[in-house]
Amino acid sequence: MSRTHTSRRAFTSVVDGHVLPKVIQVGPNVYGAAFHLMKLLPAQFILTSAIETGELAQGTTVVETTSGTFGLGLAMVCRLKGIPLVLVGDPAIEPALRRRLEALGARVSIVSGPELRTRGVQQARLDRVARIQARLGSYYTPGQYDNPLNPVSYGAVAELLLESMGTFDALVCPVGSGGSSSGIGSFLRALNPQLKLIGVDTPGSVLFGAPAGPRQLRGLGNGLVPPVLEHTLFDEIHWLDAGTAFTATRRLHAEHALYMGPTSGAAHHVASWYAEQHPELRVMALFPDEGHRYTNTVHNDGWLRRNGFLTPPPSAPRTLDHPVQVAGSWSRYAWQRRTRDEIVALTEGATA
Amino acid sequence: MKIGVQSQDVLSTQDAHGQAQRELEPPQLEHGVLMGTGTAPSHHGELLQGVFEDDGRLRRALVTLPCPLFASNATVRLSRWEPELTVTPSWKTKALAAARTTLEMLGMGAYGGELELRSDVAVGRGLGSSTSDVTSAILAVLAAVGRNLAPERIARIAVAAEAATDPLIYFDRMLLFAHREGAVVEDFQRPVPPLAVLGFSSTEREVDTLALPRARYNAWEIECFRALRGLMRRAVARGDHRELGRISTASARINQRFLPVPRFDRLLEIAEESEALGVQVAHSGSVAALLFAPQEPELEQRTALAARRLAELRITDHWRYSVGSETHVPYAHQS
Repeated sequence: MSRTHTSRRAFTSVVDGHVLPKVIQVGPNVYGAAFHLMKLLPAQFILTSAIETGELAQGTTVVETTSGTFGLGLAMVCRLKGIPLVLVGDPAIEPALRRRLEALGARVSIVSGPELRTRGVQQARLDRVARIQARLGSYYTPGQYDNPLNPVSYGAVAELLLESMGTFDALVCPVGSGGSSSGIGSFLRALNPQLKLIGVDTPGSVLFGAPAGPRQLRGLGNGLVPPVLEHTLFDEIHWLDAGTAFTATRRLHAEHALYMGPTSGAAHHVASWYAEQHPELRVMALFPDEGHRYTNTVHNDGWLRRNGFLTPPPSAPRTLDHPVQVAGSWSRYAWQRRTRDEIVALTEGATA
Repeated sequence: MKIGVQSQDVLSTQDAHGQAQRELEPPQLEHGVLMGTGTAPSHHGELLQGVFEDDGRLRRALVTLPCPLFASNATVRLSRWEPELTVTPSWKTKALAAARTTLEMLGMGAYGGELELRSDVAVGRGLGSSTSDVTSAILAVLAAVGRNLAPERIARIAVAAEAATDPLIYFDRMLLFAHREGAVVEDFQRPVPPLAVLGFSSTEREVDTLALPRARYNAWEIECFRALRGLMRRAVARGDHRELGRISTASARINQRFLPVPRFDRLLEIAEESEALGVQVAHSGSVAALLFAPQEPELEQRTALAARRLAELRITDHWRYSVGSETHVPYAHQS
């Protein structure tokens, strides 16, 4: 349970200290909610709730499939609470992240070659989780994609944003699991039904009906559609490719001295554009993590050049008639609070 | 009209706390008869009600919308030689219990006499009729014996007498108040921002506040109350009635699952059409209101339009008042 008061006091742990963002102005009418590590919040909330309900008792092992920051959040919370943790990842896990997870006492289980070839990475990971669960006497799976407590965990962020800003006009969220956008979006809507919710996705991600494909930008988009993602909250969707997001991340640092990860750059890019289009509106963007994990990649010119990411991004998005047209560096679509099925059903019309 | 205990008194009471109150003997009068009066206003239900985290623990709490339109007036006559304390009307046993507890707390449990209550606060509508009786009775006893109690202690006597109480004693500031414990969860430090209130009964049904099952909020609602509380801090600090209207509407909407206001969606439409700040409901009663920005030239037209639309729903009994300022505008029917 996150604490409501942010008055000056000693934090009870690093999780307590880092769980909420700082609201920072990054333009005349643009603000960023800059997190140290956003996924700490759902990790802490879900595990604390499970302890309270008794689902997560003494001696129970937490098992989750993740190669990203949710795993790091779980590892930090589990370390501090003394809970054993097994994380199932794929071979693409960054070596530095893996070392950090293991240093926090997590067991990192990587699905390997033959499993991947026969069943694909998602299925291979799920199979591995099932095998580990069968071996363990007692386990608990937070399930960030299915657990309704994931979006709900963001109430304390909505509280902070509203206390520091009052109701504002637009929220720009990078979308991966859909937890933060659906959670914060739904809480803000409860107070301001006119709030514009703008999602940032990436080509190749199927979250908002774009064609499936390889994604170069981890942490943004998804190969599956998580049940916690509430599509009907969104007014508008943007798709940014990796190069555009990386350049925007560098610009966020160069112009505002905010050293953040690439999903933050993507959100800032869209928020700045939207704020320029609507100078009368106040726009908030979510910045999910800091840049330190990307020092040798996104924040390194050599790496960007070697991987062909040094192209200047377009200054405006291409407006689409339908998400099936998603391609190139930056496109946008007026989602208009519809369901994913409604949008997908329009495909026939769009391609005919 | 003095209502409740002012904050200056609170401080001096706290300074004097403990030893001063133990050392003081009850006033000795020749004929031993002590008289006192007390007044407590009604309220208009809640701007916000739900469950709120307090140091890791969830507590049921509310923020009251004050309403000076109605009040309970208590008169007490106390004597060392009367065997018993009685109340008129005799069914106001909670006020009687509160008066007795107050006397006991002051070491004057042996006193008896008469407590008389006159109230124009309607019962069963969520206007806080019971709390205003209880609070005015406590204040009358304190006035009679010439003593003062910190509002925290008065709230605790009230909650002991009536199971759930409203923070009427803290008339000069907005509070997030745990009504079933009689305790302050958060003190917003400032009075309610100026509001023009168009009140009405949303249903003819009487609501027995204490007989209502406690709302079982789901996880989303519990976390949503954080958002409402965060905005409340800002709204009160800045006197922002626009944000206050948003909070009130959101809280009323959540409460629809527990004590639904009939035709709530229509009320929202009327609020929008008449440019109201929001909809407000008594979360365990039948009164509701449309909140308006006061001191705007369009106020008269807006409230008149809202009153016409309410009349179309056969809601013809309305009242109008202002809070957050001294002005009190009696409502006149407008065609």
